Amino acid sequence: MSVLNFLGAAWSFEPWALIFAAALLASYAALPGFRLNGRSLLFSSGVLLMVLTLVSPLDHLGRNYLFSAHMIQHILLLLVIPLMLISGIPESAADKALRLPLAGAVMRFLGNPVPAWLLGVGSMWVWHMPSLHDIVMKNESLYIAQQICFVLSGFIFWWPVFAPARRARLSPLAATLYLASACLGCSILGMLITFAGAGLYPAYANPTDSAGILSYIRNDLCITPGVDQQIGGLTMWVPGCLIYLAASMATLARWYASPEPGPAGIPAVEGPLAKADSYARD
Amino acid sequence: MSSRIPIVPENTIPLPSLKANNGLLSWVASVDHKQIGIMYLIITLVYFLLGGLEALLIRVQLAHPGNDFLTPETYNQLFTMHGTTMIFFVVMPFLIGVGVYLLPLMIGARDMAFPRLNALSFWLFFFGGILLYYSFFTQSGAPDVGWFAYAPLSEKPFSLNKGPTYWALGLLASGIGSVASGLNNVVTILTMRTPGMTMRRIPLFVWMMLVTSLLLVFVIPIITAAFAMMLLDSLLGATFFTPAHGGSAILWQHFFWGFGHPEVYILILPAFGIISEVIPVFSRKPIYGYEFVAASTVAIGLLSLGVWAHHMFAVGLGNVANAYFSLASMLIAIPTGIKVLNWVATMWGGRINFATPMLFATAFIIEFVIGGLTGVAIASVPIDWVVTDSYFIVAHFHYAIFGGSVFAIFAGVYYWFPKFTGRMLSETLGKWHFWLTVIGFNMTFFIQHFLGVMGMPRRTYTYYDMPYWGSMNLISTIGAMILGLSVIVFVWNILASLRHGKPAGDNPWNAWTLEWATTSPAAVENFELVPPVRGRRPLWDLAYPDMPDEPGAKIV
Amino acid sequence: MANNRMIVGFFIASESIFFLMLILAYVNFHGSVTDGPTAANSLNPVVTGIFSLFLFASSFTIWLAGKSLRNKNHLMLKVWILATIVLGAVFIFGQGLEWSGLIEKNITISRNVFGTTFFTLTGFHGFHVCVGLIMLSLLLGLALAGDFKGPKSDAVECISLYWHFVDGVWVVVFSVIYLWAFL
Ligand code: HEM
Ligand SMILES: [Cu+2]
Repeated sequence: MSVLNFLGAAWSFEPWALIFAAALLASYAALPGFRLNGRSLLFSSGVLLMVLTLVSPLDHLGRNYLFSAHMIQHILLLLVIPLMLISGIPESAADKALRLPLAGAVMRFLGNPVPAWLLGVGSMWVWHMPSLHDIVMKNESLYIAQQICFVLSGFIFWWPVFAPARRARLSPLAATLYLASACLGCSILGMLITFAGAGLYPAYANPTDSAGILSYIRNDLCITPGVDQQIGGLTMWVPGCLIYLAASMATLARWYASPEPGPAGIPAVEGPLAKADSYARD
Repeated sequence: MSSRIPIVPENTIPLPSLKANNGLLSWVASVDHKQIGIMYLIITLVYFLLGGLEALLIRVQLAHPGNDFLTPETYNQLFTMHGTTMIFFVVMPFLIGVGVYLLPLMIGARDMAFPRLNALSFWLFFFGGILLYYSFFTQSGAPDVGWFAYAPLSEKPFSLNKGPTYWALGLLASGIGSVASGLNNVVTILTMRTPGMTMRRIPLFVWMMLVTSLLLVFVIPIITAAFAMMLLDSLLGATFFTPAHGGSAILWQHFFWGFGHPEVYILILPAFGIISEVIPVFSRKPIYGYEFVAASTVAIGLLSLGVWAHHMFAVGLGNVANAYFSLASMLIAIPTGIKVLNWVATMWGGRINFATPMLFATAFIIEFVIGGLTGVAIASVPIDWVVTDSYFIVAHFHYAIFGGSVFAIFAGVYYWFPKFTGRMLSETLGKWHFWLTVIGFNMTFFIQHFLGVMGMPRRTYTYYDMPYWGSMNLISTIGAMILGLSVIVFVWNILASLRHGKPAGDNPWNAWTLEWATTSPAAVENFELVPPVRGRRPLWDLAYPDMPDEPGAKIV
Repeated sequence: MANNRMIVGFFIASESIFFLMLILAYVNFHGSVTDGPTAANSLNPVVTGIFSLFLFASSFTIWLAGKSLRNKNHLMLKVWILATIVLGAVFIFGQGLEWSGLIEKNITISRNVFGTTFFTLTGFHGFHVCVGLIMLSLLLGLALAGDFKGPKSDAVECISLYWHFVDGVWVVVFSVIYLWAFL
């Protein structure tokens, strides 16, 4: 099969992905104060990207041919898409939701950084244990569970940093530490995968060439299983980390943009100073 | 309590004299951040002279091809000790020392959060250095395996002498001291700020020290663990890094550079901080884009953790790994470039006063940009494969560390000397020092770019008589002599100004940060009254109550 | 003061990186031993597992000590600190047994990379446990001298934080060395 044919044919509109997407959109529309604006566009593009990740040829590649394609999918589902979803929720909705009894408790739970961090980083580590990964590749329902788990744990992971309600967010410095340590966690895994010998994930060593593109991958693109594994590990490591880094830049930017608490409460003690500065200010 | 016990004398004057009764004891037993800071500066000056002397010997040896001024063994010891000294016992402790002196003053505190821990850090650094230099007096001589101590060269059976062991022990001790300083700085900055000094108002130097200190806390343990493994290899026969017994020499490189690359940012970030203080004051403008300078520091700090393998492009990690690391390394140029733009924008349209601190700061920008540009060039794998292990690399990192960190250090010394001692450094000698440094530095190192591209390898005690190599090396050696001269002028300036320098007054540069609100040298308790902080330039706000930096801060 | 707990927190973070490097070294050489001793053919996970339970239990007792202090129950404070020391000492004793057993079989730090990484990792952990025991003994001495009035004490809180950390490291080390080899 030629590559173009593959790109055209390898779409699999699996019902569960569409149902999951529809469920997300429906619950978004049900948020109090829902309106069509930039934020809802962001949210729906997040959902769209998720659907694409799950049904496009990328999914086919990731499940049958390339560990690196799986990893790109993984980064999208765990880091990028949940971030788009969470940023799509309007602050007013969160405020209103906080007044509902149950939602308030849920949000307080989500806002707790320790479980959120463990879930975010843990879901990378656990799902990449070679034995588990092998099982997942062969078991359809586990695979579905894995994908949904990625999105949900990603959502919970980002919550303490980007929660719609300001009150639920960590302070910027704490958020930076939160993100940097998560980056460390994912780097180490990326490192281990990159520098471990080839063949960590045997499923990709000799794929069944269902779509007939194996020789293109191996011979034209020169992606041997070893190279494939390295690309995968490095994708988790470098671009993965850059996302955390960009996020911590975003928290700092948000911090600097917010107004400084007023000078009230500062004791007006005068120091022993000479008024010497004779230059004008530009 | 019996009065017989020799009690550590209270220091009643800011800097007790050595000649006074108990003078020495009042320094050795001090837990005062200013005294400890000064001790850091004095010791680093001594190491600077030692390291400089070693460099001159190296350059003399290389002055012409086939020279036998030094034996190969001595040469190896000297270039190892030169690199180790300059990085671990000059630039790093100098920056830590300035930080120790200035941090509490800049945030309006009385002292560091943990004064005794502060003293411990200093003494660990002090004795670490002595341990390292003691190796010169042992039978087997100083370490001779480079500041990177690559295995298996640094391991049995290739290094039977004890040099590398002293090296690892000395650096282990001073490294633990650095972690302690890092911890102390972080806690001091986060918890000891005077009211109003919010995290968004702290001077940029403090901000950069915060990021540097976090790097110290998280990065030094990497090399501490590696040193421990190396010592276990050499003392107990462990086999971490000995390929012949199943170990891995590449693992050492990963560990060393996993520390080593963040380390170069530990050397440069506080230097950025110094520059960010000096440039606004001498341009009479607030820093342009405070937020960008601060946030880009965080970005640099985080990025620096993930790019170490650019030191290992020639190892054979595979094309994919090389490509990713190359990309990530180039990304660091972005936040660094942002900073440079901010400094230039601050100078732009300012009323620039080219006093010596500003001269060094301006030269810093130019020299550091050259180092950064060569850095981006060698971050690209094919270029690196051509010039790695050649003098091009030597040129690159000297532009980054000498043209960067050391120029900033000079700027900082001229800027804060009045605060440290109460006297100004001589401007005339300062200008001499500056021009000799600029000429000597560029003469020594610029030409090494060409030598590197022409293929002259680094880390060898001599070289073949290839066309032009001899004369180019001679130029470099002459440049080094000029640099040596400049250091003499510098030391002379310090010694002379200590005695006869113009009295400085509290705020000779009309600067705006809190350290200038106290006496020079800073009073024992730092401040009688801490001025109110309502913006990033408290002393400006105080002098011009009707046009404060932050509009809301007008005093009524 | 919050200072003290903050610096201990950062110190623990720093120490975690140190252990991380030792663990990475262990992981790096896991599986590269072709002949000679390995974790799978020379360690006894059950015995070490049992001794580990003592260490895990000591995390619980130090927590109880802090709780007693908060309730101003000075007697139980001393009892629980003492219990922590005893439990930690039992763990160290177990490690001593394990080491001497291995060394008798000529499995040492210089035998091969397994020996090298195993002894380094467990050795540094044991060293940290010993440091913790010394600090706990000081704490006990101070408690006996009546130093802690409660309900708060930075010394007690910081040392128990450190002790939890030492414990947590062992969870990881035990999983990496023993569980990985035998599961
Ligand atoms: C724009 C940022 C920078 C980039 C992209 C960069 C890139 C590199 C690369 C690729 C090498 C390895 C060359 C080789 O051995 O083949 C290197 C070496 C080095 N760099 Fe940089 N660099 C940058 C900035 C700096 C800074 C700011 C410093 C110090 C303050 C520095 C200090 C060093 C040192 C000391 C070495 C040599 C290490 C050795 O082999 O002994 N670099 N740099
Ligand atoms: Cu580097």
